[in-house]
Amino acid sequence: MDIASSPPPFFRRGLRPLTKLMICAVLSLSCLIADGRFGLLVPLRDTLSLLLYPLQWVVNTPSGLIRQGSEFMVKQSELQAENRALREHALILSARLQRHEELAQENRQLRSLHQLAQAREGEARLAEVLYTGRDPFSHKIVIDKGSQDSIESGFPVVDDRGLIGQITRVSPLTSEVTLIIEKNHSVPVMVQRNGLRTVLFGTGNGIELRFVSGSADIRAGDLLVTSGIDGVYPAGLDVARVSSVERHAGNPFSIVRCTPIGAVDSRRFALVLTEKIELPPRPEEAAQTTPAPPAKKGKP
Amino acid sequence: MDRPKELLKPVKFRYVVLSIVIALLLELLPFNRGTVRWIPDLAAMVVLYWTINRPTRFGIFAGFFTGLLTDIASASLLGQHALAYSVSAYAVESRQRQVVMYNLGQQSLIVFGLLMANQIVMLLARMALGAPFIGWGFFFSPFVGALLWPLLTNLLLVPQRYHQAG
Repeated sequence: MDIASSPPPFFRRGLRPLTKLMICAVLSLSCLIADGRFGLLVPLRDTLSLLLYPLQWVVNTPSGLIRQGSEFMVKQSELQAENRALREHALILSARLQRHEELAQENRQLRSLHQLAQAREGEARLAEVLYTGRDPFSHKIVIDKGSQDSIESGFPVVDDRGLIGQITRVSPLTSEVTLIIEKNHSVPVMVQRNGLRTVLFGTGNGIELRFVSGSADIRAGDLLVTSGIDGVYPAGLDVARVSSVERHAGNPFSIVRCTPIGAVDSRRFALVLTEKIELPPRPEEAAQTTPAPPAKKGKP
Repeated sequence: MDRPKELLKPVKFRYVVLSIVIALLLELLPFNRGTVRWIPDLAAMVVLYWTINRPTRFGIFAGFFTGLLTDIASASLLGQHALAYSVSAYAVESRQRQVVMYNLGQQSLIVFGLLMANQIVMLLARMALGAPFIGWGFFFSPFVGALLWPLLTNLLLVPQRYHQAG
């Protein structure tokens, strides 16, 4: 062996740096693809985040205390002004509520007249936004109500103006809300003006309607509300306003950009609607589960 | 070299681990979206510090594992920080003897470049997996990180300088 070409053992440092880099790069790329493309590591990440929770709590406690302390030190004049504004707001709302109750009563009577299912009154739970997710690529916030407050995955989250997102992960004391602007997060909506049903998609920076045909009756300024046909969001929540509609001759679909009505990224408090919508089972599924006896088909 | 060479105590491995744990805990601190972009990637800076100053104890593999822990702590895709940290640790390791001779100002510039490379690697990885471009605010944190480099270096040197009386 040539002594000049091989370093003495004193200088040896294991694998060459490039080899190490290759190993690490292949490992991390396969992790990335397994996680990002196929979602294989989601259970693993859920478990790890549960293990991380006590640490998170330890780190969050001081800042929570500071926040409570600063709330305690608010000026009285500020409180008075806020109180006055809130009282005025409550007055306006109660006037509106009286009309609403009248209408709800009327609606209930009409529905029973037509033998339609009664719309149920929803329940809601106020939650405070603890912090936004650290990952800048996804739009998630963490709120301070969890499974101990009977929050479940799938509940819609609104603020005082409109829908902001949906509960996607629940831990005992906190839960994670995916905002409607998250990429490919979809909400079934309808145009309030004419009842046109469509689906709203998040793009990562904003929201848009996809697959709206070029001839559909939709224009800038239209209000989009949840249609309620998905069984996740109750019908009639304000979601977004159409900001621009572009129609191109070469494209069968128009490009419809929207702006969310709820303040998706800048709220301290959010309301979780804790109502379960029980839709009747789908007819197709019933037909699929009992394909064997064809004799039953005579029943309408 | 304007920094005099000093005799430092040997670094215990548990001290390296402790520094990384503290950086990850700071990673868990709650901030809102506007503030987050100004917070430097402390775990990356600690990785760079140990790769520059203790190359025999800390290298590409250690950077990779720290990256995986950061991924878990920051709830990002597994492998995102790991890829970025192993790339920047490789860049340091191949030029370590040179970098360690620089003074802190020059090192800050290099750290700035490496932190920026980290952000670019992460952005490319996420965009390749379908994430949208999230704006130039993502590239603010390396500036803050580079400015904080001398402070971090001195902080991490404190326990190594400490001599017991007598």
